[in-house]
Amino acid sequence: MTLPYPPNTAVMNLPRRDAKDKLLGRTRYTVDESSHGMLHAAARRSETASGRIVKIDVTPALSMPGVKAIATREDAPGLHGIGIADHPLFAKDVVRYHGEPLAVVAATTLAQARAAAAAILVEIDPIAPILTMAEALAKDAPLIHPDWASYEILREGAARGGNIAWEATVVRGDTDAAFARDDVILVEGTYRVGRQSHVPFEPRAVVAAYEDGRFHIHTSTQVPWTVRHVTAKILGVPEAAVHVTVPAVGGGFGLKFDCSLEPFAAILARKTGRKVSLVNSRREEQMTCLSRENADILIRSAVTPEGDIVGREATVLMDCGAYGGEQVFLTTMTAHTLGGNYRLGSVKIASQAVYTNTPPNGAFRACNGVYNTFALECHTDEICKAIGMDPVAFRRRNVVGDGDIGATGQVFEGDVLGPMLDLAIDTYGPHERAKKGPDGRLYGRATTVGTWFIFVGPSSATVNLNVDGSATLVTSGVEIGSGTMVQSLPQIVAANLGIHPDAVIVKTADTDASGRDLGVGGGRTTVSIGAASQEACAEVRSKLLAVASQMLQTPQDDLVLAQGRVEIRDRPGSGTTIQTVIAQAELEHGPISGSGAFTAPGIPAMPGCAAGHFIDAIDIPVFAVHDCDVAVDPDTGKVEVLAYRVIQDVGRALNPRAIHGQIQGGVTQGIGYALHEEITINAEGAFDQTGFSSYRIPTALDTLPIDYHLYEGAPSCGPLGTKGAGEVPILNVGATIACAVANAIGTPVNALPLTAPRVLGLIDGLSSGVDLAHLSRHWHENTIAFSE
Amino acid sequence: MVLTLMINGDPVPYHGDPRRSLLEVLRDDLHLTGAKDVCGEGFCGACIVQIDGVPKVSCLLPVGRLAGAEITTIEGVSNSETLTAVQKAFLEYDVVQCGMCFPGMVLSMTHFMAENPSPTRAELKSAMTGNICRCTGYERIIDALLSLGSNGLGPVEEVRP
Repeated sequence: MTLPYPPNTAVMNLPRRDAKDKLLGRTRYTVDESSHGMLHAAARRSETASGRIVKIDVTPALSMPGVKAIATREDAPGLHGIGIADHPLFAKDVVRYHGEPLAVVAATTLAQARAAAAAILVEIDPIAPILTMAEALAKDAPLIHPDWASYEILREGAARGGNIAWEATVVRGDTDAAFARDDVILVEGTYRVGRQSHVPFEPRAVVAAYEDGRFHIHTSTQVPWTVRHVTAKILGVPEAAVHVTVPAVGGGFGLKFDCSLEPFAAILARKTGRKVSLVNSRREEQMTCLSRENADILIRSAVTPEGDIVGREATVLMDCGAYGGEQVFLTTMTAHTLGGNYRLGSVKIASQAVYTNTPPNGAFRACNGVYNTFALECHTDEICKAIGMDPVAFRRRNVVGDGDIGATGQVFEGDVLGPMLDLAIDTYGPHERAKKGPDGRLYGRATTVGTWFIFVGPSSATVNLNVDGSATLVTSGVEIGSGTMVQSLPQIVAANLGIHPDAVIVKTADTDASGRDLGVGGGRTTVSIGAASQEACAEVRSKLLAVASQMLQTPQDDLVLAQGRVEIRDRPGSGTTIQTVIAQAELEHGPISGSGAFTAPGIPAMPGCAAGHFIDAIDIPVFAVHDCDVAVDPDTGKVEVLAYRVIQDVGRALNPRAIHGQIQGGVTQGIGYALHEEITINAEGAFDQTGFSSYRIPTALDTLPIDYHLYEGAPSCGPLGTKGAGEVPILNVGATIACAVANAIGTPVNALPLTAPRVLGLIDGLSSGVDLAHLSRHWHENTIAFSE
Repeated sequence: MVLTLMINGDPVPYHGDPRRSLLEVLRDDLHLTGAKDVCGEGFCGACIVQIDGVPKVSCLLPVGRLAGAEITTIEGVSNSETLTAVQKAFLEYDVVQCGMCFPGMVLSMTHFMAENPSPTRAELKSAMTGNICRCTGYERIIDALLSLGSNGLGPVEEVRP
């Protein structure tokens, strides 16, 4: 599409309009909401990971001081989920994880609510919990969902069964023939990663009211329309009876990309007729975090001595915990991440969400891409070692370029990864051999590539042009901290209308005012809401210029909008202010507004390749090249990241300074994932890490200034050629640090995080490795769809 | 128990349990919600206030021990017309993201910069370990503070109660 304005007018380092109040402590997040008469709620959660509910008796709790209402399983009989409806709001007949909600209490004070929640009589007959995927997939393993076959299917096409909630498979070409060739070298890698907790500083929180027969839900979410839909489904009310508003969100990182506490608060609001606040304590937030899932990964590749990957087979087990949740969707992403980066002669991939009696997992920044990239890039380095080829040369030879096909047969457009790799080596220099330094430490470097995507999909926008020459942008976007709502969106609207971004008022999500939207996440906000906003602006422009054309006696094509004025092209000062035109428009037609919409363009995959996927092909691929140097202390196993460099495919950088903020923050989260953020699950099925003192997120001493280059010009259907830039910086951090450590110590790395004891185990050869005995080397035996 | 708290220069009578945390009293009783309740165990620094000019985590401070102390919360540091030098630097360097950690960050780093007007990067990073941030990756915040170090720190004095 040709733009009616030079695209560079949208590019600037616009400061954040919300920063001042945030620095003054004035911003009111959901957790800061309080008002006279508001009730406070607390949950009673299971302390058993698996068991049959014998009794839940709320009678003694109901008569306790301040208690106004208690909600239990009787109040919410429905099931919800993604792909399959397998998840009740409260545990029904059985408990499936430690921390599962049994009841919620509303009382005058939080202390009263907590005391009453603790006084509810709960009796559960324990059943031996299944805590690992290996146990869940064992022959004759008990079923965590015995009724799995009767669940409502929300999306057709996936194989399911037993403790496998969902299976997505890719089959393209004949891997059996590739593996049977006598000229290939077979390389096998097994990998395991643990969970990562988001730790948003604002926990999940909601304030609900029931007014005029409708629910008003004021909540800390990334997905107002999902909250509206799921709350209505669970409560059995029309979706139109749910109104969702979202103030500033104190961090999301994907954790808030699903409905969470909202239905509990809604039920209590209806029961009491009062406003009800429900906020997770930090302990609850940590122990029920919808973490980035732990995963077991097996990759086998057939590679020619020249370095062609003629066959690849992979199985990825993703622990979804007790309910399918986001993992059902995310099985899709294995095809595009582990199946990405490289040209493959033939490929088979199985990606499964596996039930366990552990807290459900969810979406976390670049979701399964982070660990699939870790596994793929470690495996790639092991291939290079096996065939004796330089890892950068191997990657340069094999990365997907213009016209190449991906795992599911989609055709990629443009050479992107290749030139980005060239730029990395030109800028950072060729690799030297790993060596021992004079300080006794082991030094290593690695360069990795990664493929991620923009989660496009439906967005809508309305732009109202006001009589003062300002514009109001109405969307369902939410400001979660990334700055999209206060930087890229007003920049796009301002450039379209020839006004300053400060004159663009941005209304944040209110489902009674704004149109439907998929939510803020998946790098989609600038792209999808931006595109809808741009379309809304086009309607505003055309209405404005039609009136101006009459007033200035000039054809519309010769008019430009700039600096709050309509000018005749190349004749500054010849026109008039837009306020004058708006006033005239009101006399002739009324106020000026426009609406716009966007959805996924729908890039095709090769028919028949992919089964059980929510997205067969990625509409906007996003590529990244990361490069780092590490030093490893062989006596302690401590890894220090000495330098970290990012080349990121951004399409077009609308606000380079803000993107730098995302890169610095995203890589730092990735360093935590790579080195020290670890969740362990104990015999009770609970996380050992219950707060900040036990779950260690990076401090200022754990990071370093990230060197970065914004790679522009790759194809994108986003407005002005943009791609989302906030999600992808974390993508290959685990991969790059792991490959650099492997190079430094001369031993393959197969697990994250690389805590000092784990690294020491690798150096000393004491690490037992990751054998993944529960996965077959005959790919089809790991699947439901292709096993005999 | 009855005591008088001096909060942002105003005497505030307190009747209640002296073991309650200052954070709870600030947020729940006085609706001063700038200090954030994040980790609840003194690790993250989001609830930092200044007690007699020294940064302290308010989640671990029993209110009964604060009679006579000057308590400065983020609400008392400045108003939008007179941001402190640290706040201005954070604004100019566009370092804020979700914002939850910044009230505590402003209070502790303002104190640190007043005590150490020309800190090195390493000194700043050490000083910042008591303020955890999940969004930003810190380094741009350090850049903002370093800009103050080389320019001197005149305006910071005005934030002292």
